[in-house]
Amino acid sequence: MRVFKMKKGNIVPFLRSLEEFGEVWGPVKKGDNYVYAHEDPEKFDLSALRTLIPAKKFFLPQKSTILKFKNGNWYTHSDCKKRVIFGLHPCDIHALNIYDEFYTRVYEDPYYKSNKEATLIIGLSCLPDEHCFCNLTDTSTVEKGFDLFFTELEDKFLVWVGSPRGDDILAKRSDMVEDITKEDIKDYIEWRKRRENMFKVDLSFTGLPEIVSASYDSDIWDKMGSACLSCGTCTMVCPTCTCFDVEDEYDIRADEMNRNRKWYSCMFREYSLVAGGHNFREARAERLRLWYTHKLVGFMSEYGDPACVGCGRCVVSCPVGINVLSIVRALTGEKNDAFWAKTEVKQI
Amino acid sequence: MKEKVEILSCEVQKEENPYKPERARIVRKYDLTNDVRFFQVRICNPEKVMEWTTNYKPGQFMMLSIPNAGEAPFSITSSPTRPGVFEFSIRKVGRLTGKLFELKENDFVWLRGPFGNGFPVERMWGKDLLFVAGGLGAAPLRSVLLYALDNRERFGKMYYLYGAKTPEEVLFKNEFEEMLQRDDFECHLTVDKDPEGNWPYDIGVVTTQFKYVKDIDVNNTAAIVCGPPVMYKYVIQEFLELGISEENIYMTLERKMKCGMGKCGQCVVGHKYTCIDGPVFTLWDVKTIRNLI
Amino acid sequence: MGKPKIGIYGLTGCAGDQLNILNCEDELLKLFDIFEVKSFVMASRSKDESVPLDVAFVEGSVSTEKDLEELKKIRQKSKILVAIGHCAVFGGVQSMYLGCEPWIERYKKVYGREDAVTISPPLDPKPLSAYVKVDAVLPGCPIEKEPFLKMAGLLAQGVIPKNPDYPVCAECKWKENECLLLKGEICLGPITSAGCGAICPSLNIGCIGCWGPIEDENFASGIALLESKGYTLDEIVKRFSIFGGTERGEKLAKYIAKVKEGHNG
Repeated sequence: MRVFKMKKGNIVPFLRSLEEFGEVWGPVKKGDNYVYAHEDPEKFDLSALRTLIPAKKFFLPQKSTILKFKNGNWYTHSDCKKRVIFGLHPCDIHALNIYDEFYTRVYEDPYYKSNKEATLIIGLSCLPDEHCFCNLTDTSTVEKGFDLFFTELEDKFLVWVGSPRGDDILAKRSDMVEDITKEDIKDYIEWRKRRENMFKVDLSFTGLPEIVSASYDSDIWDKMGSACLSCGTCTMVCPTCTCFDVEDEYDIRADEMNRNRKWYSCMFREYSLVAGGHNFREARAERLRLWYTHKLVGFMSEYGDPACVGCGRCVVSCPVGINVLSIVRALTGEKNDAFWAKTEVKQI
Repeated sequence: MKEKVEILSCEVQKEENPYKPERARIVRKYDLTNDVRFFQVRICNPEKVMEWTTNYKPGQFMMLSIPNAGEAPFSITSSPTRPGVFEFSIRKVGRLTGKLFELKENDFVWLRGPFGNGFPVERMWGKDLLFVAGGLGAAPLRSVLLYALDNRERFGKMYYLYGAKTPEEVLFKNEFEEMLQRDDFECHLTVDKDPEGNWPYDIGVVTTQFKYVKDIDVNNTAAIVCGPPVMYKYVIQEFLELGISEENIYMTLERKMKCGMGKCGQCVVGHKYTCIDGPVFTLWDVKTIRNLI
Repeated sequence: MGKPKIGIYGLTGCAGDQLNILNCEDELLKLFDIFEVKSFVMASRSKDESVPLDVAFVEGSVSTEKDLEELKKIRQKSKILVAIGHCAVFGGVQSMYLGCEPWIERYKKVYGREDAVTISPPLDPKPLSAYVKVDAVLPGCPIEKEPFLKMAGLLAQGVIPKNPDYPVCAECKWKENECLLLKGEICLGPITSAGCGAICPSLNIGCIGCWGPIEDENFASGIALLESKGYTLDEIVKRFSIFGGTERGEKLAKYIAKVKEGHNG
């Protein structure tokens, strides 16, 4: 992989110069958290770790119209926009790679594909906090799925070129980058060592698919189910959750019908409800078990890797503490002080 | 002057869009029971009629939609050996089917597909076939049954056991009565109850019909079951007692689907997507995946 | 086929839902264009109650004998009956859970005596569904313009609309809001039906539940969670009751009985 270096002061002008390819989006502060927003690159916060909602929103928007029906005919509709997304961390890019595999397997989703082709992905290195565990899911570094990747060192960026598009971009901006030196490589190795020592989650993910499979009938699922609010937050914030619902809506202003798709969740009761009223997963425990077996076992047998990238979003988002870490702790008999594990919910 | 470079594109392939349905016309419809209706549907585009109706497998399904009322999967009741039309047997249960039942002959519906794995009919060539259907389960099985009858020479012995709750709920009664006359295959009908007392055939649950199954080569038999969820357990028990192996027991399952292409996730069971990995599963799949039935 | 005939009616409520229909200013002409409005007393005095209706929109709870009589008449002449607004769908704040005393005791406390209101004998306020078949619902206090227009659009196409069966949290996440529950605030998002677009949480105000309880609510876990954040059961029950309607009221009564039982045992 080709690597260059860039002076810190060049990053904002560089990102601004990318507006010629489309809207430049990056992480900006929202309350105590971050979101990807279309702002002037000067406002991007390079210390942002995990955004509230992952970058999947650019490829499968929260809600979008896919077809229109007017005067007896169907029309393909797309809200696709050219975008440059800056600030994706290795876990985010791994998640997008899973998305890519999923949305192009067997049938290629044309909306996903056009969104993907319309987007430049520019990664950014990160230093983990106490909730990050990408070191356990083997997603703490990334080799593919980006056009450029910026590693932020003390006094400079190292820029990794991941695609011909990325190479073209740098070639046109050769005044902003320089070749790397032996010194730079030394600095990078130092930085990596420092980063590796920063991970704090002390847990083993080894043998997890087998453990989850064997725990199919465990009462842990019922305990979690009793506390689960079925709010769907875990699935909305999870960067590898792909499910959607499709719904027709009639727009009286335009006199046309829109067929929309929107994010959906296996935590919702209706998800497994078939016409006629039978529900295949009436109990919350069954829905939770589906989610975790799909993430940790199913993906493993299908793609060779679990569908958890260790971003920690579920860890910081679930109001009752149901998340990959607390479940792994429960299933492996480790100490677990999650709300769901220590609270007795009085179900009526 | 800086050269403007187009490195990104945002075109959606409009013609190849697999979400975009194809117009079809209802050419025939009639009631099979008081809440199940038979629909014969023809693709409007003449260039696509033969292409679509010859290139599918028994056991596959189509996504059928009516604008505003939505879209849902329906198993194809017809067989690719009788091309030209698609046939569906549909129970009125919800918003879409309610709207569908309001439609008349010559009205339009919209189709996408076919989707799903279908029955591995080629793998069944040379085998004895044992069909067991319950209630509306006769709809998806009709496709593979007609296929087998139209390719009769490719299969060994054939049994078809069909049970419904009452005589009123028997689907395709006329067709079955014709089949009873055939000497190259055995068809047995039963009902759980016969309140009117006019039913000329057996009374009892479908598993009682296994007494007619004789002289099949259990090591070379494909058993196919489709019916309401409660039925599976008992029928599968019978298959296993006959000595048919788990990978030769096939069933076709029902789930909610919004795309048919393994994306929307609503049909997921374990890590399988019923729409692409199914809807036809073997008993071995069912045991491994769990929660399937 | 002619235009669908509709009527818009109000029982006991603040008339805010009807007002919000009138507030669809830019789309009002369109609505009057796609529907033949036979009765909408709030908008026009001229009405025709003699014809059968394709769709009746009914606001307000059934709180008097007169309401009930009117509702039955509307039901009888309408193909599709749509309950609009919290009062019609869940019973409104007038049906909230206020402890286990019989409704008539509360009535006496407020009005002084049992026969205080003379227009029509009073009833324990209830949603329409307590008395008649309701085909579709549009909750909200009051209803919102966009969901109403979408619903009207589908009805005009002859399709009965369906309210989401998932919670406000879903829409709140789509809007990329920070979770107020995580910040220790009382937010009824997880137990409230979506559809509003998470208006309040988007303005950093905890959901008050005005779209009413979601069918699948895990109400007991909601209480346990808020208790763990330092709220008292009394505070929580008050918040859960306001827009809890009659059904959640019954659940709250059961829950409280169970807690008391636990204390005694």
